[in-house]
Parts: sequence; C-alpha cells; structure tokens
Amino acid sequence: MTRRSFLMLLAIVAIVLACRHEPAEMAAPVPPVDSVASVSVDLDQVPYPTLSQYRFFTGAMAAHQPNGGVLPYDVITPLFSDYAHKFRFVWMPPGTSASHVSDHVPLDFPNGTALIKSFYFDNVQPANVRRILETRVMIKRDGQWLFADYVWNDEQTEAVLDLNGRFVPLTWRDDQGTDHVQQYRIPAWAECFTCHKQNDVAMPIGPKLRNLARTVEYASGTADQIGKWVDAGYLQPGFPVPQPVARWDDPGTSLNDRVRAYVDMNCAHCHSEGKHCDYRPMRFAWQETANPVNLGVCVEPEDPLPGEPQLTYIVAPSNTYRSMLLHRISSTDEAVRMPLLGRTVVHAEAVELATEWINSLPGPCN
Amino acid sequence: MDKLAARTLQLNQKQTKGSMNQRYLFALAAVLSIARAQAQSTCASPLPALAGMTYTVDTMIGTDVPLPVCSSGGTGATRSEWFLYTATDYVTVTLSSDLTQNGNTDTRVQIYSGECGSLTCVGGDDDSGTGLLTVAIFNAYAGQSYLIAWDNRYSSSGFDFTVSEQPWDPTAISFTNQAVSTSGNAYAAVDMNNDGYDDIVSVTATNIRVHYQQPDGTFNMVDYVTTSADYTASWSMAAGDIDGNGFLDLLYGGGSGVTFMVANADGTGFTEVSGPQYVFSQRSNFVDINNDGNLDAFVCHDVQPNVYYINDGTGQLSYIQGGLGNTPDGGNYGSIWIDYNNDHKIDLFIAKCRGSNQSPASVDQMHQNNGDGTYTDVAAPLGLADFHLSWSSAWADFDLDGDMDVLIGSSSMAQGGHKLMRNDGATFTNMTVGSGFDVFGGTSIEWVAHDFNNDGRVDVLGASNTIHFNNGDWTFTPIVVTASSGPIADLNNDGFLDVLNGGTIRLNTGNGNNWLRVNLHGTLSNVNGIGARVAITSTLGTQIRDIKSGDGFRYMSFLGAHFGLGDDELVEQVTVYWPSGTVDVITDVAVNEVLDVTESLSTATAELPATAYTVSPNPASDRITIAGELSGATAILLDGAGRVVLRANAADGAIDVSRLATGSYVLNLVTAGGTWKERITKL
Repeated sequence: MTRRSFLMLLAIVAIVLACRHEPAEMAAPVPPVDSVASVSVDLDQVPYPTLSQYRFFTGAMAAHQPNGGVLPYDVITPLFSDYAHKFRFVWMPPGTSASHVSDHVPLDFPNGTALIKSFYFDNVQPANVRRILETRVMIKRDGQWLFADYVWNDEQTEAVLDLNGRFVPLTWRDDQGTDHVQQYRIPAWAECFTCHKQNDVAMPIGPKLRNLARTVEYASGTADQIGKWVDAGYLQPGFPVPQPVARWDDPGTSLNDRVRAYVDMNCAHCHSEGKHCDYRPMRFAWQETANPVNLGVCVEPEDPLPGEPQLTYIVAPSNTYRSMLLHRISSTDEAVRMPLLGRTVVHAEAVELATEWINSLPGPCN
Repeated sequence: MDKLAARTLQLNQKQTKGSMNQRYLFALAAVLSIARAQAQSTCASPLPALAGMTYTVDTMIGTDVPLPVCSSGGTGATRSEWFLYTATDYVTVTLSSDLTQNGNTDTRVQIYSGECGSLTCVGGDDDSGTGLLTVAIFNAYAGQSYLIAWDNRYSSSGFDFTVSEQPWDPTAISFTNQAVSTSGNAYAAVDMNNDGYDDIVSVTATNIRVHYQQPDGTFNMVDYVTTSADYTASWSMAAGDIDGNGFLDLLYGGGSGVTFMVANADGTGFTEVSGPQYVFSQRSNFVDINNDGNLDAFVCHDVQPNVYYINDGTGQLSYIQGGLGNTPDGGNYGSIWIDYNNDHKIDLFIAKCRGSNQSPASVDQMHQNNGDGTYTDVAAPLGLADFHLSWSSAWADFDLDGDMDVLIGSSSMAQGGHKLMRNDGATFTNMTVGSGFDVFGGTSIEWVAHDFNNDGRVDVLGASNTIHFNNGDWTFTPIVVTASSGPIADLNNDGFLDVLNGGTIRLNTGNGNNWLRVNLHGTLSNVNGIGARVAITSTLGTQIRDIKSGDGFRYMSFLGAHFGLGDDELVEQVTVYWPSGTVDVITDVAVNEVLDVTESLSTATAELPATAYTVSPNPASDRITIAGELSGATAILLDGAGRVVLRANAADGAIDVSRLATGSYVLNLVTAGGTWKERITKL
C-alpha cells in the first residue's frame, strides 16, 4: 500500500456515461418473501446485491444443492478457465420453456431465464479445501441478457455482486501433488460482454443443443440431458436430433474433431461472424471448421508478433515452430496469449492436443 | 569471356583446397549461368559464390553451426553449408532461394564478415521470399569478403539459390544488427535522463532495465528493481516527465489496468502507482490534455470509453473516463496526438477497430481541441469516419504543404485497404490509388511516420519489414529491410533513425544526407515539449513535426523532432510553437547537430516587480519557501545554460531543491499575473 500512497493518488472521478451496456444501478432491492422459499428472479429487481437472494440453492449455499426448478447441466466440451471446476445450472420461470432455433446458436430462452455458473478449485492451499470464487449469472429480461457476477466471501457463505473485475491470488494442488500459483481473474462487466455478444447484442455461448447432447449425472441417476430438459418442461419438443460436438479430451475421437471442438468452445466466441474479432481470417465455430482453411491451416497471420517472424502461418502443417495458433495458446503474455480473456495460465493438455494435431497434418503449405 | 574464365579458374582453385569427400560440379552455359555445386561444409572451406550464378545446395551435411544467428528464427540449426562472396565494387548483394524449383523448401541464411570462430553478422534472412523461402540483401564493400552460411534450422533438404548484384544506391539506407541485452518487453527507446542521448528501456513486472547511451556510442546498463507491477506493459508503453524532475516516468498499458512507474528525484529508482480501475489498455500517450502546462496521460480502452489521467501539477493524477472517445464498447486501439488543423492546439486521432460487421466501435475519430479543455469529434466532416479496421495511423506532412497528412494502415483488409489521406484543410482527400499503398498487401497493427533516409520526406514503416520511402509526389516505394516495427530513436547518435527489435538494435547505415535533431525543454509548457509543433525551413522547403509520446500501436519512440535535410547545408529558421502559446524562433542553424530549444519565458508574460515575492532561505540546501500570491503558480528553475532543471507546482510555496547540484539557478515563478525572477543558490 505504501507505494500507492506515495506521491500520487489515483482518484476516481465518477463520470456517468449514457451507456446501454452499463449494468443496472445497484439499488437495494428486497426480494419477495416466499413461504416455500422458491427461487426468486424478480426482473424488476435483478441483479440482486447478493447471490443468496435468488435462492437458487437450498441448505448451505456452497454445497450448490439446487432448489426446485434449478436444473444442473453440463456441456460436452467446456471452456477452459485456468483449471477452475464449474457447476452449471439453468432456471426458467414456471410454465416457460426454451425453444430450438438451430444447432449452431444458443437455445431461444424465455424471459426470466437464469443461467448460473459457479467457478471453484479443489485442494486450495494452505487449508487444502474447496474454494468457490465466483458465480456468474446471466438473466434474460425484456429479450436482453444481463450479466451479474457474484464474488464469494472467504467463509463461503455468501457471494456479493461485483462487476468491477479483480484478481484473486490462488494456490491449488493437483492430483499429482503439484502446487499451482495463479492470479485468478474475476471478470469486469466489459470482459463478460466482450465474449458474450453477437453484433453487439449480449448472448449466452454454451447452451446450444449440440453442446448439450450428452448424459449427465442427476440426483436421480444418469440420464440423457436433452431428454431431461424436455421432461422438466424446459425445452419444447419437436426439434431435430442435434449433431453433437466432439469431446475435446476423448482419445477415441479423431484429433481433428477434438481440436475443432476445443476451438469451438474456446475461440469461436471471438472468431466467428459478428463477433469481437471477426476481422481476422479464422472461423472457429464447429460448423465451419470442417474446412481446414477456417482453422487457419496454411493461412498467413495478419498480425505478426514482434520478435517472432518465424510464425508464418496460423497453422503450419507438421511444423509447430511456425504455427501462430500453437504459439498463442502456449503463451501467458496477455498481449500474445489466446484466448485473450478467461485464461492466465497455459492449458497444457490443449497445447499437447494442438501439437499432436499440427504434427498429424500433411505439409507443407503450397 | 575473359572475366568468366577467370571466375572458372578461381572456382577450380578453391575446389582443390576442399576436403576429399566433397565434390562439386561446375557448368557454364552461354544462356544460363548455372553452377551446380556441393557447398563446402565448413566455415574454413567455403565455396566461392559469384554474382549472376545459381548454386545448388545438396542435402546439408556440414556440422559447423553458424553463430551468431543474424536472421530471425533463433538457434537450433545443426547443419550448414558455406559459401564465400567477395565484392569487386560497392554493391548491394541479393541472395535468393525464392525460386520455383525450390517449391515448399524451408531455407535460412546467415551472412558474416570476419574470421571463422569470430564472425560478425552482416545480414541474414529467414522468410522474406515466397512462403518459407529466403531473400537476403546486404551492402558489400569493394574488396571485402563475406561468408554465407545456409543452415538447417527447419530443413536439411537441398535447394537452389541465386546471387545477384546491383549498384549501391548511395542514398539508400539499410540496417546492421547490434545485440543489446534487453530484459522483458523492449518497448521504449527514449532519452530517460535528459542528457541528449536516446536510451533503451526494457521492462518486466519487477524490473526496469535502462541502457543509457553514452557519448561514445556504448551503453551503460542499469537495472532498477521495482515493486511487482499490478499491470505490466504488455499492450503498450509511453514515457513522459509528469513531475518535471528531469527524469522520464513510464506508463504500462496492461490488459486489466494501468501502472505508472514514476522516476524519483535523482533518477535512481521508480515508484509504482497503479490504479484500481479496469482498463483494457491499448495505445497510451503522455500529453497535456487540458493545456495547463502539466503532462497528463491518455490510454485507449479496448472495450469501454477511453480513460485519461489529469495531472494537477504536483504529480497527483486523477482518473477520468469519458469525454475523449465515448463509444460504449470501445474499439480504441491507436491514439495519436497531432495538430491536424494548424491552430497550435493538439488534437487526438484514434484509429479504431472492431469485429461484428461495421460496428460503430470501428469508426475512426478525430477529437479536435476546442482550446477550453473540451474536444469535439470532427472525423465525419473531415472524411475520416468509416468502418476501416486500423490499430494505428502514421501522421506527417507527406507533401510539404504545411499540414499533417495521414496513412491509416489496415490491420485487416476486411473493411478496405490502407488509406493515404491528404490534408486539404476542411477535409481530407483519399490519395491511395496509385500511391503504392493500394497494391501493398501487408497488414499490421503498427504504422509510424519518420524520415529514415534523411531526404526531407517522411517515410512510413509498417507491415512486412517494409519501409515505404516517400517520393514526394504522393507515391511511395516499398523497400524490404531487416528492421521490423519497434521503438525508433537515434541509438548511435549519428543523425539517422534506428529501430529496436527486442534484443537487436537495427542501426541505420545512413547515407550522405544532412539532418537536424531538435530537442525541446518546456518551461511554461510541459518539460518534454510534448504537443509542440516544430517547423524548419531550408532550401527543401518547410518541414513540420509534432512532438509526441506514443505513436504506432505499442512502442515508445524518441521524444523530439528529427528532420532529414538531403543536401541542404543550412536551416534558415527553426520555429517552435509551444503548447503554452509561446513561439520561439531560431535562425541560421547549422546542420548535422542536435539543437536544444528551451521555451523562452520573457516573451510569454509580463515581468512582475522584484517586491512581488520573497524566497527563503537563499542560499538553500533542501528546500525553498516562496511567499506571496501563489494560486496557480508554477516554479521553473533554469541552470546557467538556460536548461530547465526543475518544474513544479508552487501553489503551496514549498519547492524541494535537494536533488539539484550545487550552483546558481534562476527561479522563474510563473503566475496568471506574470513572471517573477530571482537568482537562487543551491548549497
């Protein structure tokens, strides 16, 4: 702190901008008291100041025991988030359901829907315990998605709305007993929006039918996830059977499809038409990557990196040293690394996958 | 034929010296000069390489690893084949494996002078040819021999290459390499300690390494350990003296926030100041935004409205978001502060970029300085507002008509190619067609304008290691050089601009052209003179520069004005338009020198009577106290040579003079009512 107080102080001059993307004012809403303690998503009041006010969970909140109507879900290939584990849940207002539009876009959710995702680590040092860091909630109101992020307290009893972003120092121990020291990033509102948008409109990324076509372990046993959503009344039946994406870590699946699945979930939210960085040539969405050109194979990068002129292709077949994609996913420099947001450490298993894939591609480029 | 025969003889003689298991074939054809040869495998027994010939390198077997590595691509080669080229005249030599018969081969070459075991880099290339093929260009001196080593950094396969010579254009420049042991992001080349020599700055989260350039051309390396920066300089770095103490302060533009590293009073350390605000930093600059004489800071925000830091004159910075580019979701990449309308008030142009198909966040902005602390975006009426995707822009008076033109280089061609725009006062006219930029396919986030060959016409450095040399008629000639985008400064004090590329200084070889460097020392204005317009007049005409902290996208280049002068032997007039409104004119300035200009005080404001203030103690050792009406007052101390040694807010009357050397100084107290002067002595 001394360095901050010396010589200079940075004072916030609050400039309120007319900004349609700004989070709603943080009033102090009092959620309606309900005798059966059902989930509360009052669209006039959300986002609530605290996570507990939604009553998404029963009992000790950290256990994430879903309240009535709160359905856990999972995706086939997840977004890598610095090795954080995730709990995912969906809740919709009673009597409402989502409808299928296409395999390639998220489900069309009803107003009032809440998508809930908690990020946690196990074996966090020094106490070697689970630590939940944040719960991100996306709520659909008047046809528009709003972002809320709840940062958990040290006691793991409550989480408080905070969209300013912060770093959390963290050391966790993996199954091999190795400690990983990280600066875990909790995103600011603008970071949420950078990835979660299409043509400047906020939207979810994960809940596309092609990502959900898998089995999930429910309290009642393992079941087909999409069937469960239909049974729960959360998905209108009558949709075509989705073509599922590959599991990125399934050794029984082709290398190419594993890579396609990985870049779909980790990269396509920027590198697709209408997204933050659609001006670069890559097109990483699952339905586009059957064409290797869209994966950057033999495509020259538009943005060469200082000091790295050997990176002559986004993907150079059989030549990892010349492949920009591999270089960027192997870097932690925040101006070099990809994905740009949501990752501060290297996803070693993904680097291994990409390396194996690049070496499997016939080369060189013409 | 005699000459060719002589060459044949020379080759044969060389062969007899080769090792027994080496073989080469030599064939001379009247139509095609093709030599088929097995290159010699050791540095000590190279095969002669002659201009006009094509050579075949068979599978590489030589085990002399060529070191140092002069090209890009780093170490890792294990095999090599060696040739020896001897120049008979001053020539530019091109070695090329960029031949159709080489297909997809991946080649690399190093070029040396000196003896085996103690080689010195002359040149080298990895991929300047098509695909992964090589084109290396170097200037050779008559009678000197050069060792050429092809290595197997990527492939040991055989290939062909050609050797050709062109007459050496005496006005052409190229770059030689000099290694420098930078540490971390080598993002700045700027005079950190105000001694008139540009220095090199490389930073990590916990260290600032400065290579101080010495008068003899060597560097004195000093490491300053810092607290671990909350935000690192990953996206950009800017430098400026925010507290007027004679030592530059640094700004680190990080992905989640902004860190300032403030140089202490005697330049022996830095204090970190990091704001809590989330800023996805892109280009950053130091500039006096509200024209109060104190240097402020500006940072482009990728995903929100831009942010800036207003300096109250005591070194305290106030964070402000809004007012200088309010696009809600940002798209702000390349801010550059120039005076586009010649009103001597600095304006802000922002090169913008965003996906999602013609997003408003990609529309470039020109924030015209209204002179009252406010700015108005006038890009649309000027013809500069479109969806073009750019991360930086290169501003200069390309046609010497007295106003700033611009090359807005594309970062992506998805919304159109490079835009070369002529400043016509009320609007800008697109001059791209026929300029050369219309057919230049390279894209980059870095575009800067400097005169690299000192011909008095400002050139552009951007994508693909290419300098676009300005022909003065709205055409530009693209020349591939070894230097790529990086901080630019005069790193050997020879009057030609050099480029820093990581741990390699690209030293401009220069030519016979004359030059003038003008370094500014503000008094009423900020001490660096950032935002000042410098105009010089010589036979070539009038050239203008705006002093800026931060051009291009990421790097911090020299602070000052650098002018090429061609054959001109005299600068008739140098005019400095300071941000304060002061105008200083110097006439008959000699060329090939550095001209230091200190902002004059006498012409700026009325002189106040001697009785208006008192200062005590005088002489003083640690601090002086000024008594009198002090609201809004600034204290400026000049040394015996008239240089600013200290500039500080004097509102509370206390001025720390402890760091000053013993001697006599003139205190200038500048207030709204005028200027008061007093000679003080430092014990």
